[in-house]
Amino acid sequence: MRFALSKIAHGLLLILGVTLISFTLMVWFGPDQTYSLVGKNATPEQIAEIRHELGYDQPFARRYGGYLAQLFTLNLGASNSSGEPVSQILKRTVPVTLALMIPGFVLGNLLGIALGLLSAQHKGRWIDRLVTGLSVTGMSISFLVIIIFLQVLLSTPYGLNLFPVRGWQVDDPGSYLRYVAVPTLSLVFVTLGYNTRFYRAVFVEESGRDHIRTARAFGASTATILWKHVLKNSMVPVLTRIMFSIPLVVISGSLLIESYFGIPGVGKVTFDAITSGDQPVLKAVVGLTAVAFVLIQILTDFIYKLVDPRIA
Amino acid sequence: MDPANRTWQRLRKDKAGFMGLVIVLAFFLIALGVWSGILGQGWSEAGGGRWEAPGKAHWFGTNLLGQDIFQRAVYSVRTAFEIGFVVSVLSTLLGAILGALAGWYSNTWADSTILWIKGVLDSIPFYLFVAAVAFALQGKPWAMHLAMIATFWTTTGRLVRAEVMKIKSREFILSARTIGLPDLLILFRHVLPNTLHILFIQSSIAFVAAIKTEVILSFLGLGVQDGVSWGLMLAESTQEVLAGHFNNFLAASLMLFVLLMGFNLLSDALQEAFDPQQAAL
Repeated sequence: MRFALSKIAHGLLLILGVTLISFTLMVWFGPDQTYSLVGKNATPEQIAEIRHELGYDQPFARRYGGYLAQLFTLNLGASNSSGEPVSQILKRTVPVTLALMIPGFVLGNLLGIALGLLSAQHKGRWIDRLVTGLSVTGMSISFLVIIIFLQVLLSTPYGLNLFPVRGWQVDDPGSYLRYVAVPTLSLVFVTLGYNTRFYRAVFVEESGRDHIRTARAFGASTATILWKHVLKNSMVPVLTRIMFSIPLVVISGSLLIESYFGIPGVGKVTFDAITSGDQPVLKAVVGLTAVAFVLIQILTDFIYKLVDPRIA
Repeated sequence: MDPANRTWQRLRKDKAGFMGLVIVLAFFLIALGVWSGILGQGWSEAGGGRWEAPGKAHWFGTNLLGQDIFQRAVYSVRTAFEIGFVVSVLSTLLGAILGALAGWYSNTWADSTILWIKGVLDSIPFYLFVAAVAFALQGKPWAMHLAMIATFWTTTGRLVRAEVMKIKSREFILSARTIGLPDLLILFRHVLPNTLHILFIQSSIAFVAAIKTEVILSFLGLGVQDGVSWGLMLAESTQEVLAGHFNNFLAASLMLFVLLMGFNLLSDALQEAFDPQQAAL
């Protein structure tokens, strides 16, 4: 119980921090919205009214409180450019982003774990060297380069021309697979180098422990050792890695992939909000994802306790 | 043999790492050439036709505007080094100072405050943070640098904090305290220099991260505002490749790859040379 309370208190402090930062950057210091909202030749009264509506005549604490209330009631205002309520935009785009990013995220981690195990099992031999060499190579290629390369290779007449060049016209499983293929491959390629290297280090460290040597001495097979002892005992760092890479891979990844391939998910909406300076959308996306990530961290702490009862 | 010399000997024996060092130095020479006005000066002149093929006048062809792709790729080395240098030095410095303070005053309010700031910054997805900073600064060209420095210090800070907590209970620190040296003097003269290996490795990692991040940010329109960079060249090339013009893409991505590979090899070798036991894991 004390564990739960301290974790929740810690999480609340983090939520306070992330909302404070996004409020300060985007609302307090953000550009004045008044003149993009009032019509031409506005009277001073109209201007004052808009400024009052936007809360510009309020002190910092009250406006920050208003921002918090917006985030927690999901009553996020309307987009400046389309006039659509932000909560409705999110309801429409979040499922697209999840459908787009989950396959690549899962595959990237599973393959990373598999290659990490393989490499750790053959530590120091040519397989290990090949895998670590390829990981460093993968880490040296930019995400953007991978996307452009795979698009040319797989979706244009200059390459194999197998998949649609861009877009997202998904209405059945077949079309889903065709549109998700190239983004998924890009995501797997860009994360695999980092994942493999990380998981290999974790598994190598675990394989060096005394209980593994004992198991080996008792004649347990390599497969048993890997699955039962190495993988199971590495669950805490593996979980940490997966949970903590969610914001980087899923959110930042969707920003790049969706804006590149023109896929109508949260990333594309955010990209458009960045280019057009659409403050209501931007402050909602930044605030909500940061809060969501803090919640994920709290959840991770509780999963740790399930996986490893020693953790306090 | 003294530790610095031993580290150098290990680094020299590491073939891949040594190659990395040579690559990084070669690129640094190119950057110096651009700075001193010898190389890549014609990067913005539109001296050729649209999408000219590689030839004697334009070694790597020209782009949409008829600008020389080779000159642009070379000039971008300077851009990459400027961003990498500014971000890696300042973020490592910030991480060193905050990490040292947190470690020295561990379990006090100063420590908790620094850890809180670190936790908060780690919780905001990076590109969204940059977007927010750029939004607040309204397109100032250094918004990108500022955002990277403000977030890249956290790993360095965590590592330095842990190391300082270890060092501060060692005997030479206890004796420095006993003879009455002021806290901050001990911290910055005697404790922090013992974390130099961490700072070296982290700044090489930050350098790589900064260059990679610039590419993505420039594509998103949040990066380099004027001048040229590999990120801007790649952003240009996203339209060109669909029409079958690959020179911009190839030039920028190859230069970028070689420099990043060099840095990655170097930073691996540094880790191994400074701390063979840890790196062998």
